[in-house]
Amino acid sequence: MSNAENGECAVGSAEGSISVHNFSEKLMEQVIHFHVMKLDGGFFLWVGTAPVLSNLAVSMCSRFDSTPLSSLVMGDPSDPTPNTLAQRLTKRTKKQVFVSYNLPGSHSQLSLLVEERIKKELELHPEKF
Amino acid sequence: MHPQTLIKTKQAEKNINGISTQVVCSEFSNYIFVVLTQYGKIGTLVSVTPDSRTGDICTPMYTTKVLLGKDEALTHVCAKHLATFISQESGNRPVLVGLALKDSSIDSINSMKELIRSCQVW
Repeated sequence: MSNAENGECAVGSAEGSISVHNFSEKLMEQVIHFHVMKLDGGFFLWVGTAPVLSNLAVSMCSRFDSTPLSSLVMGDPSDPTPNTLAQRLTKRTKKQVFVSYNLPGSHSQLSLLVEERIKKELELHPEKF
Repeated sequence: MHPQTLIKTKQAEKNINGISTQVVCSEFSNYIFVVLTQYGKIGTLVSVTPDSRTGDICTPMYTTKVLLGKDEALTHVCAKHLATFISQESGNRPVLVGLALKDSSIDSINSMKELIRSCQVW
């Protein structure tokens, strides 16, 4: 029995267990919560201040383009933030990334800080992603 | 400082019919998110939403929608069978299910349902 699917992105390690990782950070006077679910060959990341799931974007590597592909699976298509964040995280990790971004999308400075904080966590705890 | 966890999650792993099966349930105020996988991946994403029109007169109808992945009839059947009770028990919240199954026989699905029940976050 072979578990190796046609993994164009990173091929996950030997069918590990899913793990969940939470962290939070005060950014621009509010506590932002981060919730990461590590999967085989990818991860799910939720960002927000209250436990709502208002959108979901998926991104993965493309064989034909250096820019990762991304798609909004759920939520308001007029807000590009979940898509861009997922895309950037795929670019960085080469993994399939699911992102749910539950902060006001118009606040571009906040989204930059959020992204910086995720990058920091990726450096500190790469095994959690 | 312990970051307070905003999203309540529970997970379990069980060998069902010889296949390692994992479940992770997460509670959101507007959704229950369930990952049920035999591949370690999210796989096909299906939303199971109760029809609000029926209200409390009778048990609601459920609409299943494949948001990501192959839109097969069996996927809808499995998702509805696995998620209806979650919605009912969580105050009619919609359920988002990630399904990546090697085995979708009825016996296995019923065992998976019990596994989901053991991860009750709602």
